[in-house]
Amino acid sequence: MSAPQGQFSGPQPSATAIFYRNIRWLRFVDRFGKKGQAAMEYLGGMAEMAGQTIRACFTRPFYSGEVLSQLDEIGVKSVSITGITAFSTGMVLALQTAYALAAFGGKMFVGRVVALSLLRELGPVLTALMVGGRVGSGITAEIGSMVVTEQVDALRTMAVSPIRRLVAPRVLATTFMLPVLTALADMLGILGGLLIAVVELNMTAQDYLGSIWNQLAISDIMSGLSKTFFFGFEIAVIGCWNGLKVEGGASAVGVATTRTVVLASICVLISDFFLTKLFLAL
Amino acid sequence: MSANPNTTGPGPAAVPETIVEFKNVWKRFSGKEILAGVNLQIRKGEILCVLGPSGTGKSVTLRHIIGLTHPDEGDVIVFGKSVVNLSEEALAPVRRRAAMLFQGGALFDSMNVEQNVGFPLREHTTKTPREIAETVAEKLSMVGLPGVQRKMPSELSGGMRKRVALARSIALEPEIILYDEPTTGLDPLTSEKIGQLIVDINKRIKTTSIVVTHDIVMARTVSDRLAFLHQGRFQFIGTFSEASRGGHPILMEYFRSMGFPCGTGLIQVVKDL
Repeated sequence: MSAPQGQFSGPQPSATAIFYRNIRWLRFVDRFGKKGQAAMEYLGGMAEMAGQTIRACFTRPFYSGEVLSQLDEIGVKSVSITGITAFSTGMVLALQTAYALAAFGGKMFVGRVVALSLLRELGPVLTALMVGGRVGSGITAEIGSMVVTEQVDALRTMAVSPIRRLVAPRVLATTFMLPVLTALADMLGILGGLLIAVVELNMTAQDYLGSIWNQLAISDIMSGLSKTFFFGFEIAVIGCWNGLKVEGGASAVGVATTRTVVLASICVLISDFFLTKLFLAL
Repeated sequence: MSANPNTTGPGPAAVPETIVEFKNVWKRFSGKEILAGVNLQIRKGEILCVLGPSGTGKSVTLRHIIGLTHPDEGDVIVFGKSVVNLSEEALAPVRRRAAMLFQGGALFDSMNVEQNVGFPLREHTTKTPREIAETVAEKLSMVGLPGVQRKMPSELSGGMRKRVALARSIALEPEIILYDEPTTGLDPLTSEKIGQLIVDINKRIKTTSIVVTHDIVMARTVSDRLAFLHQGRFQFIGTFSEASRGGHPILMEYFRSMGFPCGTGLIQVVKDL
C-alpha cells in the first residue's frame, strides 16, 4: 500500500489514511457481526439439536432405562426443593393478601387469591426456576464433564448417538416431570396458605378451601400446567446444549453451568409472558 | 517420504491390502493449519506408530479415521469407502468395525467395569446378559484384569483404567484399533505392559493398530512401521531401523532428545558417546 499515489495538494488525507480509517470502521462492524454470527450459530445449533431430540424420542432405539433413571434424578429428587419453595410462597401470599385486603374487609377472598396466583402463575414459574437451577445446571455439568473426559466422543466412536443416549432421556424426563412437580407445588402452596389462614388470620379451613373450591375453573389449573411442558423442554434443551458445547477443561464446565442457569431462567420468564398471552387468547 | 530402499529392511513380499488411506488431507483449527496435505496408507494387519512433537496433529489424524473430525480438504478412505462429511448415522457401520482407545480411557463413570466393557455388546449385538458377562470376563482376562467387574472407574488406577478401556475397545473384536497416547502418564513398567498388550491383541484378534505416541521405547517394541508427523505432514514413513539409520533430520533430533543414539550407522553412535 506504500506505492506513490500521485500529487497531494493541501491537507487532503492520503489514500492510505482513508483506507486504514475504513478498515478500522470495518473492524468495528466486523466485531459486532462476529458476535451476532456466534449467537446465531449457538441458537441454530440448539434448535437443530432440539429437532433431533424430538425425532429421537419417536424413533428406535429407545433408552427406557435411561429415561426411568432420569425421571428419578430430575423429578423425584426435585420434590423437596420445589415443595419447600411453593409452601413458603403460599404462606407469604396468604399473609400479604390478607394485609392488602383487610382494608376492604375482603379477608374472605384470601383463599381465592392465593390459589389463583399459585395455579396460574407462581406455581409454574417458581417451580420452573427452581428446576432450571437444580436440574439444568446438573445436566450441563454432567454432560460437560463427559465431553471434557472424551466420554461423549467414546459414545460416538461406539456408534451410539449422544442425542439418543444422553439428550433425549433428559429432555423427556424434564418435560414430563415439571408438570408433575408443579401440580405438587400448587397443592403444597395452597396448603401453606391454609396454615396461615387458620393459625394467623383466624379463618376456618372450610372458609378458606370453600372460597377456592367454589370459584376455581378447570382452565385456571390447565393454563398453569400446560405452560410447564414448554418450560421443562426449554430447560433440558438449554442444559444439554450448553453441556455438549463445552470445549476445554474443567473451568469451561463451570462457565457453561452458569450460562445454563442464566439462560434457562430468562427463557422461562420470557416464554411465560408469551404462553400466558397465548392461553388467555385461546 | 524418504524411506531408504535399503536391502536390510524386512519388507513384505506381497503388497498388503490398504485399510485406511489419507489423500492430501488438510485441517485448520481457528485459522491455524494442523494438517497440511497429509498422505498416508495404512496396511491391513500392521501396527503403525504415529510419532511427533506435541500439538502437531497426531490425535487429530487419528480422529479423522473414525469420523470424529472431518477434514477441510482431501479424503479419508476407511474399508474402501470415504468417511468424509458423512452423517453420524452413515458413519455407524464404519464405527462398528473400528474402535478407539482414548487418552484418559473415557470410561463411563456412571457405570461399573462390567457395564462399561459390555456396553458395545449391549448396543450392537443380540447377546443375552449371560453371554455378555462371559465375553466381558474373557476380555478382562485378556488385558490382565480378571475379577474387577464390580469396581467403578473411580476406584481404578490410571493404568487399570486404560486396560479396562482397552477391554471395552476389543469387546466387538474390531478390525481397526486406534490408540490415542496409550502410555502417556503411566510408569515405565505399566507402559511396557500396555505395549505388550497392543502386540498381543493385534495378533490374537488380527486387527490393524494405529498408535499415536511420544513414547519411542514403545514405538520400537511394538511398531511394524513408524510415521513421523511434523509441520502438518508425514516427513518419514518406514520401519524403526530405517528411521534410526537416518530417516529424517528432525526425526533423528527427536530420537536423540529421547536418548536414542542414532545416525548413519555406528560412526554417529561413537560420536555421540
